[in-house]
Amino acid sequence: MADDPKISQRYRELPREEPPRHVDQAILAAARRAAETRPAPLVVPSGRRRWYFPLAAAAVIVLAVAVTMHVERQQPDVEMAEAPVAAPPLAREEQAAPAQAPAAKRESFTPDPKPAPSQERAPAATTDSRELRAQRDNAPPVELQKAQPAPASPAPPPAAAPALPSRQDVVSGMRESERKEAAAKPQAGVGVAGAMRQRSAAAAADTFATASPEQWLQGIDDLKRQGRHDEAEKQLAEFRKRYPDYRIPEAITEKFEKR
Amino acid sequence: MEAPDEELMLAYGRGDAGAFETLYKRHRGGLYRFVLRAIKQRAVAEELFQEAWIRVIEARSRYAPQARFTTWLYTIAHNLLVDHWRRKGLTLVQLDEEELVAAPDNPARQAEAREALARLAQAIEALPAAQREAFLLHEEAGLTVAEIAKVTGSGEEAAKSRLRYAMAKLKAAVDDG
Repeated sequence: MADDPKISQRYRELPREEPPRHVDQAILAAARRAAETRPAPLVVPSGRRRWYFPLAAAAVIVLAVAVTMHVERQQPDVEMAEAPVAAPPLAREEQAAPAQAPAAKRESFTPDPKPAPSQERAPAATTDSRELRAQRDNAPPVELQKAQPAPASPAPPPAAAPALPSRQDVVSGMRESERKEAAAKPQAGVGVAGAMRQRSAAAAADTFATASPEQWLQGIDDLKRQGRHDEAEKQLAEFRKRYPDYRIPEAITEKFEKR
Repeated sequence: MEAPDEELMLAYGRGDAGAFETLYKRHRGGLYRFVLRAIKQRAVAEELFQEAWIRVIEARSRYAPQARFTTWLYTIAHNLLVDHWRRKGLTLVQLDEEELVAAPDNPARQAEAREALARLAQAIEALPAAQREAFLLHEEAGLTVAEIAKVTGSGEEAAKSRLRYAMAKLKAAVDDG
């Protein structure tokens, strides 16, 4: 066994350092101050106060639902920003029927009352609606047109294209800064999506703290694998603070030591 | 009979400042030496020692005795040491000369005792960090191998091996005299 009385005895003969008095005093004073601040009462509050907690909880739930809905409503915009890249079949369809295009372009100024996804799912849609969709999808946002002087697909008639406002710009509510960012990059849709993914990853890292310890560690491990060492370090430090006695798997700690 | 650490900590969580004082007096020396001999810089050791106790204070209301209080306390200290080492790029600073030996009271044995203790202190200093930590946890906190494994976040076999190697090296150093 690892015990050796002789070593232990000799070790006890080494000087027995003690913490200095000022450190003792500082710690004990902090402990007393903390003890004086009373914890939350265990007795349920009576009267009007008993509604405070349920009301606060309800408010938090409503807020959470609202934020979730807001986020979900914004996410399809990013997909729509990528749509022009993924619309060649409809573009070909438009080339096959050029005679009907001018009329459809005029109609495209009127906002479509029906949601676009339901139309796209219906295979037996009318010719007009298909053309409308084709024009919408083929027409890039105004800023995108400026940033892309040499499009890969055949150029639309010069008179019609600039005058056609993109439904993405009108309806989606895509932020101005995001559109500029998308226009500045060669692959606009991918750029915006990448930025969104990065932002959501950063937000996810912040939410690790509210997850279980295992999920949090998994997130730290993911950050490390993505090469985001500083964020991983910060998260690990925060984790150790939150869970001082949590046994972090050696597979994770080794990654930090090898850096 | 003395109240167990865990009861004292729970009492402190309920607002009994006296319970904390008892707890602090019980563990202050051991924890301080553990940190000091691991970190080897008095100022930094004092800072980390204080921080460890501050975390105990902050955790008073959510403390639940899932393990021995000692294990929990030294885990906090271990985490702080790891963070410190990582900040320093895992470069361990050499032990200050003043830490090595204080002269024994008996002048007749002074030279011999000084030499023996200096050998032991130097051998402890020369241990790899993980072995030194295992040894200090064993000697200062009185932790078992399983508890050392828990505090350091390693497997029991690793902790046992570290402690065994440390003891063997220290024994060789003491026997040299």
